[in-house]
Parts: sequence; C-alpha cells; structure tokens
Amino acid sequence: MANKYKYSFALHSAWNYQNEVEEMDKYSENGWQLVKAALFHRKYVKNDKIRYRYQLDFRRIEDKGRYIETFREQGWEYVDSTINGWHYFRKIYDPSLPEEEYEIFTDRESFNAMKKNWARIALVIAIFGGIMALIYGIKLIMVPSVPFLLLFLTFLIEFSVLFRGVLIMRAKESKRKRNRYRDSVLITVFFLTIILGTSSGISLAGKRPNITVNRIPEANEESVNNERFGDFEVKYPDNYFLDLGIESKDPMTFEVVNEKGEAVYKITDTSFHEDDIRLNLKKGTYYFSMSCDTYYNLNCNIN
Amino acid sequence: MKKSEPLSESYYYILLCLAKGANHGYGIMQMTEELSKGDVKIGSGTMYGATSNMMKKGWIREIVSDGAGFERRRQYQLTDSGRDILRAEIKRLKRMLENAEEV
Repeated sequence: MANKYKYSFALHSAWNYQNEVEEMDKYSENGWQLVKAALFHRKYVKNDKIRYRYQLDFRRIEDKGRYIETFREQGWEYVDSTINGWHYFRKIYDPSLPEEEYEIFTDRESFNAMKKNWARIALVIAIFGGIMALIYGIKLIMVPSVPFLLLFLTFLIEFSVLFRGVLIMRAKESKRKRNRYRDSVLITVFFLTIILGTSSGISLAGKRPNITVNRIPEANEESVNNERFGDFEVKYPDNYFLDLGIESKDPMTFEVVNEKGEAVYKITDTSFHEDDIRLNLKKGTYYFSMSCDTYYNLNCNIN
Repeated sequence: MKKSEPLSESYYYILLCLAKGANHGYGIMQMTEELSKGDVKIGSGTMYGATSNMMKKGWIREIVSDGAGFERRRQYQLTDSGRDILRAEIKRLKRMLENAEEV
C-alpha cells in the first residue's frame, strides 16, 4: 500500500521556534508523523497508531553518534536535521508522564546557550546584510537608480529582521506572546523579499546598457557631420549615467538622441570632461550623435 | 588553581555522579534524580551541551566500555582536573552553608 504523505510549508522564525514544535505536535495528534525536515518545508507520513511529542535543538554537532545516543538514552528518537543546524527529535507521547519529560533543556543556562549560539551565527549574517545595505546605500546616493534602490532595501530588510531576531534570542526571557499565523506570514514575506529583491535587483542591473565608445579621427577624416554611433537600448525607465570626454579644435556637438530623433542630451564644447551625467531615460532605443570640423578625441560611456 | 565560576546545577550534579566511577548519560540522569529526590532533572539537550563543554575543558573524558549490544556504550569519567573542580565547588558550597548557619 502506498504511503500517504503531507507537506507543510509554513515557515517559522528561529526566535519563535516553539511554533514549529507545536505544529509537529498537532500533526502527530492528527496522525501525521514527521519523516523529513528541511529549511522551507516538513514532510509527514500518515500513521494513526502512534503519537509523538517533538523538540528542536540548535547546535553544531561534533560527535553525531554521542549526540544521538545522549538523546536516545532518554527516549528521544532522532528524526532529521536542517542544513543550518536545527535538529529534530521526537518521543512517544504518554499522557501519564509529567510535561517535563518532553523538555530537552532543563536549566536556563543550557537553553540560553542554545539561543545564544543561534544568535552568534545570525549576527554574522545580519552584519553581512548591514554592510551590503551600506555599500548599496552609498552607491544609491552617488548613482540613484532602481537596481541599487532594490538591493539597498533588500539588504536593509535582511539586516533589520535578523538583527531584531538576534536581540530577541539574546534576551534572557522572552515575554512576548507568540502568534503562529502572524509569525509564519512574516517569515514567508521576509524570505520572499530577500529572494525577489536580490534577484530582480541583479537582473535589472544586468539589463542596463553598457556602451563605451572611444573615437579618434581617421587619417584622412576632415570632419564629421551628425554621425550616428553607439546605439543602445533602455529596457526600463530609470536614471542612466553618461561619462563624456571631448577634445577638439573646433566646437563639437555631442547628442544623445531617442528613437523619434529628439536630442535628450546635447552639449557643444571644445574641451569637456564629466562623469555620471544623470539622464532620465524612458524605455526605448537611443544613439549618440556627433558633429565637428576638427577633433582629436571623443570618449563616452553610458550605463 | 585559578578561582573558577560557580558551577551550574547540571554541571555540579554530572561531576558529582561521576565521583565514584564512570557512568553513562542515562545513569547520570537517574542518579541526579535520586540524589535530588526528583528536584533536579537533566534533559538530553542540557546533558549533551554540558558533557561536550566539560570534555573541552578537560574535566571529564569519554570512554567506550567493552561489551556487546546495549552494554557497549559511551561512558564518562572524571579527570583529575574535574575532581579538583568538584572539590573546590563542594568547599565553596560548604562555606556558603556554614556562613548561613552563622548568621
């Protein structure tokens, strides 16, 4: 007979990990027994004949044999571990036993040590997010554009949510009321924000034009008149940044022209050097245009 | 020996239960419950954390006893430095108790 499986994709925060224990206890009560625990889901198999109580432990295990044996000695069966270091145990439920039989931490010190251990690792990840938010924040100020805004906000959220988690886990006693539903929604939104924010930020950054042209006159070139070059495509409206360098004897006219033939940027000068000239461009195709009698050098880049 | 921090209840009972000889985790847990008349319990998470830490500090060591099947299991044994720690703690607790009686 084929086994019946059920999956739970409810995410729980580490600082409210008892919500997950409650979920597994509830499932077991309804005849669904845990077989696999992963980062983003749990797999249950149907078995009405037994009822378990669950516990979670977080640590880096040095000696798995000794670890599992220490739990087995007190009736705990090891079920599974997640890649980030949460270990799942269960014990057959006997209603006649006192509630403390289903605890794995029997003193404040060891319970706080477990939470602190999680907080230490989470702090490293939070600080990484903080540094990334700072880098993208500075980039955003210097080069205001959509991808940098997305990446800045994503890392800022990552930092603040994780850092808040670290503070909660480091607190000696948590007096907050746990709400299973709200916690699940918040953590799901958190992970979706991280995944969508970074992927769309990186993908938008990759879709930006990056055209560099370095133009020096050819041997018998007398003059150029409205020469079109460096066609590029703007895939989404945003600020784009032009680096421009002009060296010429006669005044040179340089333009950025849109598909309707209108100049969105125009300058006439004999010597001009400027980086990060901000152009607010709409979606569409554009090209550069130059006119000059005698020139020495033109270089430009748009990104 | 440098002055050490007071031991936690779990650490103290684990060392105490090993004073008369090696024992396994379950034995330590049972003996602790008996000695404290059920007041002190050492859960599996607490036990693993405490034994790991005390092995790192060199207060206890792990020995695998000979024997087949269930008899062949890990036991813990007190080291000399572990015995010193336990003696110092008992001395400290005695002093505290005597002080309480004086007041």
